[in-house]
Amino acid sequence: MPEFELDLASGRARRARYGRRLGAVGYGWLLALALICIIVAISLRLTGHGSHWLSLLGAGLLLYLPAAWWRYDLRDVQPGPSSTITDRLAGSVLRQLDRRTAYTPRSLWGAIQRDWQVQSLCHHLLLTPDMLMPILSDNPADLAIVWEAASQLSPDRSRPLEAGAVAAALILTVPTIGAVLASLNLSERDVLAVAAWLDRDLTVMHRPQQSFGGIGRDWANGFTPRLNQFGHNLSLAIEHHHAHFGSLVDSPGVQAMKAAFQQGTNALALIGPNGIGKTSHAYALAQNLLIGSSNPQQQHRQVIALDASAIIASAQRPGQLEYLLTTLLNEAVHAGNITLFFDDAQLFFQSGPGSLDLTQILLPILQARNVRSIFALSPHDYQQLKATNANFAGLLTPIVLQEPPADKTLEIIADTASNLEGRHQLLITYEAIKETYALSGRYELDMAYPGKAIRLLEQALSHAEQRVVTARSVQAAIEQTTGVKAGTAAPVEADQLLHLEDQIHERMINQVRAVGVVASALRRARAGVSNPNRPIGSFLFLGPTGVGKTELAKAVAATYFGDEASLIRLDMSEYQQESDVARLLSGGEHETSSLILKVRQQPFSVVLLDEIEKAHPNILNLMLQLLDEGQLTDLQGRRVSFKDAVVIATSNAGADQIRQRIEQGQRLEDFETELTDQLISSGQFRPELLNRFDEIVLFRPLTPDELGQVVRLMLTGINQTLAAQNISVALTDAAVATIVQVGNDPRLGARPMRRALQRAVENTVANKILRGEIQPGSQLTLDASDLQPPQ
Amino acid sequence: MLVYDFIRWWYGPGWCGVGRSLQRRLHGLADTFSVGILLRTLFAPWRRIISYPGAGIGDHLRALGDNLVSRCIGFVVRLFVLVAAAVSSVLLLLAGLIQLLTWPVLPLAALGCLVWGIF
Repeated sequence: MPEFELDLASGRARRARYGRRLGAVGYGWLLALALICIIVAISLRLTGHGSHWLSLLGAGLLLYLPAAWWRYDLRDVQPGPSSTITDRLAGSVLRQLDRRTAYTPRSLWGAIQRDWQVQSLCHHLLLTPDMLMPILSDNPADLAIVWEAASQLSPDRSRPLEAGAVAAALILTVPTIGAVLASLNLSERDVLAVAAWLDRDLTVMHRPQQSFGGIGRDWANGFTPRLNQFGHNLSLAIEHHHAHFGSLVDSPGVQAMKAAFQQGTNALALIGPNGIGKTSHAYALAQNLLIGSSNPQQQHRQVIALDASAIIASAQRPGQLEYLLTTLLNEAVHAGNITLFFDDAQLFFQSGPGSLDLTQILLPILQARNVRSIFALSPHDYQQLKATNANFAGLLTPIVLQEPPADKTLEIIADTASNLEGRHQLLITYEAIKETYALSGRYELDMAYPGKAIRLLEQALSHAEQRVVTARSVQAAIEQTTGVKAGTAAPVEADQLLHLEDQIHERMINQVRAVGVVASALRRARAGVSNPNRPIGSFLFLGPTGVGKTELAKAVAATYFGDEASLIRLDMSEYQQESDVARLLSGGEHETSSLILKVRQQPFSVVLLDEIEKAHPNILNLMLQLLDEGQLTDLQGRRVSFKDAVVIATSNAGADQIRQRIEQGQRLEDFETELTDQLISSGQFRPELLNRFDEIVLFRPLTPDELGQVVRLMLTGINQTLAAQNISVALTDAAVATIVQVGNDPRLGARPMRRALQRAVENTVANKILRGEIQPGSQLTLDASDLQPPQ
Repeated sequence: MLVYDFIRWWYGPGWCGVGRSLQRRLHGLADTFSVGILLRTLFAPWRRIISYPGAGIGDHLRALGDNLVSRCIGFVVRLFVLVAAAVSSVLLLLAGLIQLLTWPVLPLAALGCLVWGIF
């Protein structure tokens, strides 16, 4: 029989069908009837009544035979000895197949689509079984390709070919599946990942009962009553709750810890950033020892985590803390099988509220190598320990945990999702898992994988819709915790984005090119077609004072981010010294001029760096990193993302030249490149900095007509203030022309205009109110002659 | 075909399965009673309750005596458990052997009883 030809007439296939026909209900009836017959037969024999006890006993035994057959064989027909598909196919699949049907991929799908594994695969991919039915082949000859693909998906010949692998193979062998999956924002890789996820779940479900050493395992080791009180026994927790840490149990980190202990090291520093899984590694080590798969003689070893807060809280009098710690350590030494795990170990090494300095008590014990211990530390805390207590740090063997690679992290998130699904009775789709990985990587910079992704996934559970956690749930969770807009643009919002220029021009006059460039960048970012590892947009605005550079930044903050308060403005002329770099990068909560702190608090913002050319060269070097990688690192080594910020730098460099050339009638586009080259050659800007901006935008001086429009825009602001008194003011053209004439200063652009307007209009209105010439509800139109001469 | 498949299973994989099941249960029993660990630590002090000798010869002798008592207690407890494990294993083995031996005659016995009872 060829390897990929299904033989439904085989003995194994027949047995699988017998199993389906009898079923669990039939088995129950058979067993019950058998027992009744046997009991009645024995009763009759013992009481001496009746003459048919023997035939009843025979009937009972006969009924028991098929029941035993079902229980030990038919219920789950084990794989056969050969590598043919008939022998490899799981009993649960084989039992669904009818002998008289010539199966095609389509009819096979129809036969297995109600299997829980197929349902699970489809639900996690957000596919409906009916969606696939029409596109599956109806040619029996194509089935061999399906079996071959399924066999490749499940290469372990010692395990049956489950329905999940068959379903994944059916999906993947459809010639047009790429387009179907793409329409659902999925890929063939996702199908493979979900099939592998299902396979891992099956491995956990079918794993044999673990042996933990039995009743006498710990009889050669001492009692630990105080440790049990002030610590948490990780080994017993695993034993009692049948916890399983999956592939982590044999991970490089756990193997490194075991190897270090076997080589005689007694104290380890488990170093890794928050979220990398230091505590999970301690649990995994406990499980590894407990299973004793590699060394059964280590099964008695137990890992106990000390609870710093419980220890500190228990000490009422001076000296009591030291006494308690000494007792705990002596108990661990005496027991002989304890590995102490100091989670958040920095709490044991520093004096202050909620922490204690344990080094002087621990030092002699570590030096005597009496007890195994693991200290979980962040890289920063380990460096601090080395700096403050080199002796103690020297006794620790460092084991540095690395973030798992992307595919491994996705596996860990998926396995965690399986646990969460069971605990909360909901479904977590694979797109949600991918989104969790992507968004946590982008926004949770203070933590490492996989912890940050798991935390985000847990937060997303509360955003599940109809008990299904989707990518949208994850986006909603990140939006709630960080305030960023992670979701795709909704229709209304999309319409706003398409008309962003109009909205900006409601508060800005002209500078059409600058507005267009910025609006296009924002649209690209929101549609997800820009580089996600850089800021949403980065622009260098060049032009004279008072032409709208800052106003455009404010307009972007208001229109795109919804609030003008989203503008983070730094005057770079205040950062001219080398020492100012520290001020800019300080992560301290009280450093008000820290760019890092402001962006961490408000990642979704417009960062306006005024007069960038005046900043110290070291700060400009930081800008290179910011614009290139979309992130900066603070003085404490923590990263902050600028990937959701629009970075705008402004400069007056070249302003005179812009003004002169515009006055000569040139267009901005004509001399844009030439001006940029001049700025580089004159040493005002380094080429590497200019090259990193998405766009260098030139602003041209405003004409008197445009200044008039600015005046009218400003008047709207004044009217909003006066609205409280129910008074509104209008200006005639002559009045506007007068204000423009008074306020126009070619060097300062529109900036003096506000002052001129305030002096002329506000003073006039104020005097009229005081004189009682206007009442609430009045509409006042001012002509040039009505205006108070500006002082 | 049904009867043929049944007989083939009953006298083939079914009978072997009874033997394997017995083997698994015996192994599980040894694990539950920690037989391997108890044999390795048969003479170890009970729960590490030991005395550490002082400086004098008298202290040494007293520690030696204390530790001997601890080891004796450990030995007795472990021996008791090992005996219990041995007895349980023998009983399990006997039950398993009976099952193994009666397995092949069970279908015939069932038919025999039925026929004999009716006629």
